[in-house]
Amino acid sequence: MKYLYVYPELCSGCRECSLACSLGKFGECNPKKAAVSVVRDEFERFEYPVICMQCDDALCLKFCPQNAYYKESTASGEVIKYNKDKCIKCRFCATICPHCAITVLDNEVVKCDLCDGDPKCVKVCSTGALKYEEETAELSERRKKMARKVLSEMGKTAAGAGKH
Amino acid sequence: MLNKKLGIIDLTTGKIKIETIPDSLRRKYLGGRGLNIYYLNKLLKRDVDALSPDNVLIFGAGFLTGTLTPSSSRFSVSAKSPETGIFGDANCGGFFGPELRYAGFDRLIITGKAKKPSYLLVKDGKIEICDSKKYWGKDTTEAQKDIKNDLGPCELVLCGVAGEKLVRFACVRTGIKNAAGRCGMGAVMGSKNLKAVVAQGTGGIKIKYPDKLQKLVEEIKDYLFASKITPILGKLGTPLLYEVSNTIGAIRTKNSQLNAWTEKLNAEEVEKFVEKMVSCSSCMMHCRHRNTLGGEGPEYTALGVIGANICIEEPDQVIELNNICNELGLDISSAGTILAWAYELYEKGLIDKKTTGGLELKFGDLELSKKLLHMISRREGFGNILAESTQAVKQLGEKTKDYLIAVKGLPQSDPHDVRYLKAFALGIATSSRGADHLRSRPTLEIFQKLPPEVRERIYGIKIQDPTTLDEKEKAVYFSEHIFATVDCLGVCKFICHGFNSPKFLGYSHFKDLIYATTGWEITEKELEAAGRRVIDTERMFNLKQGMTKADDTLPKRYFDDPMPLKMAKGHHVDRKEFALALDRYYKLHDWTEAGMLKAERVKELEAIK
Repeated sequence: MKYLYVYPELCSGCRECSLACSLGKFGECNPKKAAVSVVRDEFERFEYPVICMQCDDALCLKFCPQNAYYKESTASGEVIKYNKDKCIKCRFCATICPHCAITVLDNEVVKCDLCDGDPKCVKVCSTGALKYEEETAELSERRKKMARKVLSEMGKTAAGAGKH
Repeated sequence: MLNKKLGIIDLTTGKIKIETIPDSLRRKYLGGRGLNIYYLNKLLKRDVDALSPDNVLIFGAGFLTGTLTPSSSRFSVSAKSPETGIFGDANCGGFFGPELRYAGFDRLIITGKAKKPSYLLVKDGKIEICDSKKYWGKDTTEAQKDIKNDLGPCELVLCGVAGEKLVRFACVRTGIKNAAGRCGMGAVMGSKNLKAVVAQGTGGIKIKYPDKLQKLVEEIKDYLFASKITPILGKLGTPLLYEVSNTIGAIRTKNSQLNAWTEKLNAEEVEKFVEKMVSCSSCMMHCRHRNTLGGEGPEYTALGVIGANICIEEPDQVIELNNICNELGLDISSAGTILAWAYELYEKGLIDKKTTGGLELKFGDLELSKKLLHMISRREGFGNILAESTQAVKQLGEKTKDYLIAVKGLPQSDPHDVRYLKAFALGIATSSRGADHLRSRPTLEIFQKLPPEVRERIYGIKIQDPTTLDEKEKAVYFSEHIFATVDCLGVCKFICHGFNSPKFLGYSHFKDLIYATTGWEITEKELEAAGRRVIDTERMFNLKQGMTKADDTLPKRYFDDPMPLKMAKGHHVDRKEFALALDRYYKLHDWTEAGMLKAERVKELEAIK
């Protein structure tokens, strides 16, 4: 299964992800009208990309009074999609989403659909803060990183660890 | 496409007009710096005092600002400069430029003076003049936090205390450290009783060919990331340039009495104080240092100008001074140059305690420098004299001018001592806003191993010696054109061809980006011609303000004092060779021998509507 992963510590706050998202979905560059949003505050000193995690037990799907959300199985995994025709713009989904990942602006509900398995946000992310990967590959990469870190802190680099 | 409105605000009467900028004009000047000088030239009356209500202050976003285009965060702030009396223009990144466009405006033209401290609220197609009394007198961070608390999410530009007090090198600030730094645009804000301009917008920028733009940006990013320097710029930012200049012996040190300084200010040392590298809007480079001392920076400019130039040795001390300048809203480039000048004048006995109000001035004194920055920003005591920037010569005496590292009244921004690399020297001598490296610096000249074919391909120069003035007019000519064009487009010079790398974005990339965003078919030649139009219009404006050929010159020290240290030892600029280079430079521009625009070119430019 492929998922969209987010690593907030790598985000530099540029918002290219949001701009690419709004460009793909609405043909405009508008960081506020995107399914991925970068929360940033220079004064509080943080950057944090907010994305839809395509929850297994998704609250948007579960509680939408109009059943405007549905689950679609694709080649790379399950995607929670949104049916505009059923939506009454009550914004309930946006308020209950535990990740605050649904945007309502200009009478449009903006919900991540993973761009049919080829997310545009990931393509323009320059720092690796957003990745779209197989869960096994992602986990293995993360474990390797952790291993390198631990070994280097123990004074044995990953490369030199087997020499003794 | 990509066309937002023009807001014209008269602060004296409170009248606000909203207009559309015709496409015919946008094709000629694109946006940003280009359209700013177009309007300033049209609207500014003759003999206007830069700090009077008659000055015209313009905030203009670039043509591509706020789009997916990499590093397209930039906007320009322009007016007649209170520091130089000629074209005042400063370029800035951050998030304000894009937000101005999302709020429905490409450009704001501000005239008059508000009766009381005010700010402009630009929100989804509307402009309102609001009371700013509660923010007046506050430092830039505190005022920004307060405004954001009161108005909710927004992006803003503002002046600090220095701008309110009409310090001639007060900057315009946005965020923690972004500044439209040069030429005293913050003082122009202060003179208009304008503390801030706040943008809040939910509108997007419609793109003609969205799929094309997405694909093009992906390709451009791959291209930029293929360069070896990209990850280095993202890791170290501009401080990496300190060591490059210092190795040659070309770091302005002790008001250019020396030309090399400590290795303790190298990028690797600065990096120890960096918490995270962050970006401006749409930027893949992330060259901004979130420092561990509570601010952002330092840039290479700060390391040199308020480091080596005033003999500060420790990176944390430079960062401290950097953060103070940012809080007060002082242009770091001018601040460091003016401090160093005063320290040397005291050292040489040209000024004494009577002038300084009892202060003993000396290089390397951190506490003194901090104190003076605060005094300048509030125009207290000796600070009131230094707040006049280069115009302090009037009070300190004509002889003091010989020690001033400035051109056309603008203190030099580049920490690079240009006596060694002659293309840099010709660049700062001829730049349209005075001694500044971001107008025309042919940076590649600094690379000692620049392959001859690269030098020839980019600059059209066959002579390989960077220390002669021969042919250097070509390097300046190339650089000023492409820099003018990117300043019009709202793209950062950091990804511009010929600035950091011979392999970054050039006219062909910009042509493609313009086509994808608007559907306009503009040729590379037309883009270069737009740059040339901007340079010529700026020249025309400056000549009207009284600038002459004699102002295209260098600080006396660069001609008369050979550099004392390292590889650059013995180098200086020869006056005769310089005069010849200037002649060649004018010729290349098709200007007269006196550096004037030809009558037909003036007619052509003045006729543009």
